[in-house]
Amino acid sequence: MDLTFSPEQLAFRDEVREFIATHLPPDIRRKMQTGDKLEKDDYYRWHRILFERGWAAPTWPKALGGTGWDAIRNHLFLEEMARGWAPRMLPFGLNMVAPVITEFGNDAQRERFLPKILSGEEFWCQGYSEPGAGSDLASLSTKAERKGDTYVIDGTKTWITAAQWADWIFVLARTDASAKKQEGISFILVDMKTPGVSVRPIVTIDGGTEINEVHLEHVEVPVANRVGDEGAGWTYAKFLLEHERTGTAGIAGCRQILEQLDELRVREKNDDRRLEERMAEIDIELTALAFTELRVLAAESAGKRPGPESSILKLRGTEIQQGLTELLLDAGGPYFEPPLARWYYNYRKASIYAGSNEIQKNIIAKRILKV
Amino acid sequence: MDFTLSAEQLLLKDSVARFAADQASARDHWKTFGELGWLAVGAPEDLGGFGGPVETLLLMEQLGRGLVISPFVAQAVFSGAILRAANRLDLLEESIEGRQRFAVAYEEPQARYDPARIETSARRDGDGWILDGEKVRVLDASTAAAFLVSADTGAGIALFAVPANAPGITLTAYPAEDGYDVANVRLANVRAGNDTLVGGLGSGLELLELGIDHASAALCAEALGMCAVMLEATVEYTKQRFQFGVPLSSFQALQHRMADMYVELELLRSAAYFAAMTLESESDPTSRKRGISAAKAQVARSGRFVGQQAIQLHGGIGMSEEYKVGRYFKRMTLVERLLGDRDYHVRRYIELARTPARQSVSV
Repeated sequence: MDLTFSPEQLAFRDEVREFIATHLPPDIRRKMQTGDKLEKDDYYRWHRILFERGWAAPTWPKALGGTGWDAIRNHLFLEEMARGWAPRMLPFGLNMVAPVITEFGNDAQRERFLPKILSGEEFWCQGYSEPGAGSDLASLSTKAERKGDTYVIDGTKTWITAAQWADWIFVLARTDASAKKQEGISFILVDMKTPGVSVRPIVTIDGGTEINEVHLEHVEVPVANRVGDEGAGWTYAKFLLEHERTGTAGIAGCRQILEQLDELRVREKNDDRRLEERMAEIDIELTALAFTELRVLAAESAGKRPGPESSILKLRGTEIQQGLTELLLDAGGPYFEPPLARWYYNYRKASIYAGSNEIQKNIIAKRILKV
Repeated sequence: MDFTLSAEQLLLKDSVARFAADQASARDHWKTFGELGWLAVGAPEDLGGFGGPVETLLLMEQLGRGLVISPFVAQAVFSGAILRAANRLDLLEESIEGRQRFAVAYEEPQARYDPARIETSARRDGDGWILDGEKVRVLDASTAAAFLVSADTGAGIALFAVPANAPGITLTAYPAEDGYDVANVRLANVRAGNDTLVGGLGSGLELLELGIDHASAALCAEALGMCAVMLEATVEYTKQRFQFGVPLSSFQALQHRMADMYVELELLRSAAYFAAMTLESESDPTSRKRGISAAKAQVARSGRFVGQQAIQLHGGIGMSEEYKVGRYFKRMTLVERLLGDRDYHVRRYIELARTPARQSVSV
């Protein structure tokens, strides 16, 4: 057992730190620090800078243009990104659809889609949830009817982050209405410019417009855009969700918020001991969670697939994120400027997305505790 | 970063696990531990020692699983770390060979866990010292041959290795709910020679803090073993217990509670590992103390949750003295607070981090 980072890992961390400090555009850093909204171009510019450095796809294999880093290096990279106030790359292309295409797609699909995800030329979004299918995703009703070499898709997808920017959407749709619930679902890639696709923004309680509803009306998609087998989409969907759950602990981002809290306390001459202790308790829990993440990562770099243990990271990570925005809110007071309440309202989503925290508890109970 | 165990570590873990499973109601394991070589964990190699904080963790986790009552933390880990750091290898050798047993007497009625807040005094008397004061909650006191006593010398806090039978020492033992051997130690005009000094005149506090940190890490590992057993027992019980015609484990309210226990257990496990890592790699005392306080505070919080929920989910049987979960719960409740409770360690964590920027707040 060796519970320390190797000199090589530490040198790598310093290299990343230095790169971010010298290459992240100052206007993007400023937006991140003030909580201002990022535009599509902000994400794109930062993506290009990482792409040129060869760091756009930390989780991809080298052969596909990824870095080939192990889980620990990827972790160090993400930590440094957050520490240096760099925006996190949108996950929908790089970390969600790309692994599915890589694992279950065909050569033509890999050649068509992966290079443009890597270069940042094409933005993606995720067509999973529906008005009638949230936690019970398998009850989705969007249907894809096959007519020769074409699927005709009808349905509504909702809570879709970045759909307003996306060039492509990956959609779970029912291709066989007579099959059992989890069967009969297929994984289909849809060009957002296809006639019949429309995007409607949903304004959230924090005033944000980052999520959308996407309507699909008689959208005709080539059958060649289906990934893997017809009716096997649920398997791919679950594969994707496990990828989505890793790395959602957001440790370094939380450390940033803690630092901001500390600065706020000093600026406001706030000597409330109770606040100080609440901060320390969250800080301590964060340390325990960071170490839990390292244990999960060490298992992954030893070759294990991300398992149900990553539910802990999602569950407790989002609780801590929410706890921190709550502390910011309390430290600021009513009608405080800058609008700390906006973060607090925004982060309520964290325990709902990527499988609500109640679903994570179901996963732990069923798959780990086996009750 | 590698969480797999070496062959030697696996061997140690397995042999402690076997011991913990087999041990009957034996109270004092000092002799056995000496024979098995476990008292030498963390000692220098030329004294026959092996391993360090990770080995202590493995050992304590298994002792925790077996709910083994042993003087290992107090008389091997705590005192051993102090003797090693003070370079009293003569005393350390006696200890790891099982010939001498040292208990640390540092807490006082007014101290609230803080080793610096002491009133016990040491005044010069010819070529030696006279000690006066009262120490409370001395762990494994009645089997100790000597006490490592902290006293204010006027030139800083120093530690003295005082024989337990020295004139002027009175022990008041009292029953402890976890079955441990605990006593208050009164010192009235106790003479101690210069050779009983462990470390320099002003180094007593740092030595104590180091010992407390090592012993706290060991307690964290013990808590890990205990909480793992409590969760396993709870899951098992809810599967077997039928109410309303179905197993309790089929109710989502209980499933989610057990999922919460699992998350807390994993955070506790991380905290215990983090404590061991801190001791292995942290040479700066302030960072070391902060790391240990973080770990101990987390263990106290998670351990309390797991214990309370284990009792709750067992229902009535959890309240019964003869059922094992209650006994684990009681020992966990002690471990939470021994050597500093959650409030103490959160405060210690805050005070140790004070930067100039933070101090300006209180001006």
